[in-house]
Amino acid sequence: MGIVRGEEMVLNIGPQHPATHGVLRLQVKTDGEVVSQITPYMGYLHRCFEKHCENVTYEQVIPFTDRCDYLSSMSMNFGYVVAMEELMDIKVNERVEHIRVTMAELQRIASHLLCTGVFGLDLGAFTPFLWALRDRERILDLFELTCGARLLYNYMWVGGLSHDIPNGFVESTYEFLDYFEPKVDELENILAHNKILVERSADIGVMPKDVAISYGVTGPNLRASGVNWDLRKNDPYSIYDRFEFNVPVGEGIKGTVGDCWDRFYVRILEIRESVKIIRQALASMPKDGDVHQSLPKKLRPPKGSIYSRTETPRGDLGYYIESDGSPIPYRLKMRSPAFTALSVMDEIGAGWLLSDVLAILGSLDIVLGEIDR
Amino acid sequence: MTDSKEKLIAELVNKGLDGDMDAVNACEDRMIRAKAKAMIVKVGKGTAERPPLPEAVSSVVSEVLPKETAPVEVNKNVNQKVKDMVENEFPGSTIDGDDFIQLYPQKWFEIASWLRKEESLFFDSLQCQMGVDIGEENLESRYNLHSMKHDHYVEIRIAVSRSSPKIPSVEQIWRIADWFERETYDMLGIEFVGHRDLRRILLPDDWEGWPLRKDYQEQETYHGIVVPKVKEGWE
Amino acid sequence: MGLLTNKFQDNVIVEKLDKLLSWSRSTSPWFFQFGTACCAIEMMAAAASRHDMMRIGAIPRSSPRQADVMIVAGTVTMKMAIRVKKLYEQMADPKYVIAMGSCATSGGPYWQHGYHVLKGVDIVIPVDVYVPGCPPRPESLIEGMLKLQEQILEERPLTRKMT
Repeated sequence: MGIVRGEEMVLNIGPQHPATHGVLRLQVKTDGEVVSQITPYMGYLHRCFEKHCENVTYEQVIPFTDRCDYLSSMSMNFGYVVAMEELMDIKVNERVEHIRVTMAELQRIASHLLCTGVFGLDLGAFTPFLWALRDRERILDLFELTCGARLLYNYMWVGGLSHDIPNGFVESTYEFLDYFEPKVDELENILAHNKILVERSADIGVMPKDVAISYGVTGPNLRASGVNWDLRKNDPYSIYDRFEFNVPVGEGIKGTVGDCWDRFYVRILEIRESVKIIRQALASMPKDGDVHQSLPKKLRPPKGSIYSRTETPRGDLGYYIESDGSPIPYRLKMRSPAFTALSVMDEIGAGWLLSDVLAILGSLDIVLGEIDR
Repeated sequence: MTDSKEKLIAELVNKGLDGDMDAVNACEDRMIRAKAKAMIVKVGKGTAERPPLPEAVSSVVSEVLPKETAPVEVNKNVNQKVKDMVENEFPGSTIDGDDFIQLYPQKWFEIASWLRKEESLFFDSLQCQMGVDIGEENLESRYNLHSMKHDHYVEIRIAVSRSSPKIPSVEQIWRIADWFERETYDMLGIEFVGHRDLRRILLPDDWEGWPLRKDYQEQETYHGIVVPKVKEGWE
Repeated sequence: MGLLTNKFQDNVIVEKLDKLLSWSRSTSPWFFQFGTACCAIEMMAAAASRHDMMRIGAIPRSSPRQADVMIVAGTVTMKMAIRVKKLYEQMADPKYVIAMGSCATSGGPYWQHGYHVLKGVDIVIPVDVYVPGCPPRPESLIEGMLKLQEQILEERPLTRKMT
């Protein structure tokens, strides 16, 4: 009698599936319930971002960056304008920098809230999702107050901002932070130490350090693997070097370092750090300063190229801009953090049960708009 | 974990087990609080032993995370230095360039493995790989390498002719190159020799043409669906 | 469209039954959440705490076979277009489609250079209600849903031929 081996079955998850966070297709080879190979197929949302960039002017690229990662549009704007300002050697004034940091960190909170809420939803917890979206709505209200849009803002411009913040914004933000801080504890209590969630995510899908680096995984996913790497600290852009905040790394509290639970918990810790940064940025924000002060009349960067990175809620966002001296980019490449995060799926997902694969996918926090561009 | 942290956790666990959960909840450091709570639960279940009460109880809570300072380096861009080193190691493989390293494609795989392994460089992360149509019948592949250990970066460019765009693949050195190269193949049609799974990644397998080449003409129909914009009437 | 169409003669009972049928259909438009891009987030927001679309009877379903309405939320690409058609065909009659956002309506910002973007989902499946915006606010989606309900209420599945 030999060992009983089941027949291998090929199972398609997606492209339309509630747990794939968009239109992703995972081709999964399973032996019974155990997954032996995962092949992701993307491109169901390939919207030709890079082709568009070669046909529109530098200003017109900004709305397209919004639509790439629709959960953190502010951060995508931020990365682009930082790259452009470095290429064109523009200095923006203090007020603009402070508003930008405030917006980017608010966006980080909103994005992490959705991620943690949806991660709970993937594992069968419905209530935290509603709580997370309730608080996210309040952040969206703040954005709406500022620029009129809820999701895609087109707020940061090269050399400035589209609008100054309205009267009462600072007070409303303080009010929101005061309301929000206890809610984070609530969210953590209901979700992070919940026995079901811990059982489903601790020790699952462990991503070791060297694998993470080799696959180019960045952001919270990399930090959860125990690497202390945050561009806001290690290669500060804008005015991040002035603020006091910690970089949370995974410590394997419930299981191994770099498991699903760590990836999820690092995000909750980061929400708290973002709150700290916003408080500091609001406190030190100069009262006067024109947000349109250094807007160039015409965006025409000198001939040359630049690769610039910023830290979005999902990791290192890189823009490679090649300019030929005309008002239209010659080539613009977006190195998206979710793209690299998804590439590790087969490496860390194979060998687990089918239900764990969805937990791993949820913990990587991917956005398909940014993967397919 | 540092000693002071462990002592603090042990102290909190003891307090918590004696019924003083407020002390645990009042701890400012999240990590320590979570660990203490987890341990209390474990002790309660009997899966862990109650830790001994530390003699010297640390009262300072905020000093637990020593701040790590990044190595101060004025210029993290080491293109020129690395270029000289590559020329030393592999004579005749570089072409003169301004602020990047221009290589011939032939020895790229060997150079890449060397850049990855060499102790003083140690480029362990491929930040970005992209292709660009630079005109004059040439395509170019560009690599932005970064070292997590030394925190420096270089940019490497390899140009190939449009008629036979072949570059050695580096997907076995940096695993992320697997998908980056597939994307470049998909968009520009650069063939990466030695890639184990070179397929289109974003576009469907039966798509025609290389969209990011400057002379790209989109196809008329795809599976019976009209592809180009319909101009009639409303433009 | 349906099996019952034109099977009965007009009389007062059939007429009343007809109204009852269309009324009950209109008040429970369970929708198939077919989110592809940015609009999917607004669709989620519409179904979540603040806007609470379930109060008008619209409950999100994950499978096309359980749904009456398909909300195409977001950009549809060439690679996806074939799947959209397949998913539409999997839905049971009577079925309705809401095209949410300008991408699903006409290709949106990608209509000009988007070689891989379908210029409007109505090229592959019939659409009942278009919701404009990039992305539409959750209120707009709810408005679109209410418009669809009005449309369903007008239908007479037993006595009149449906359009």
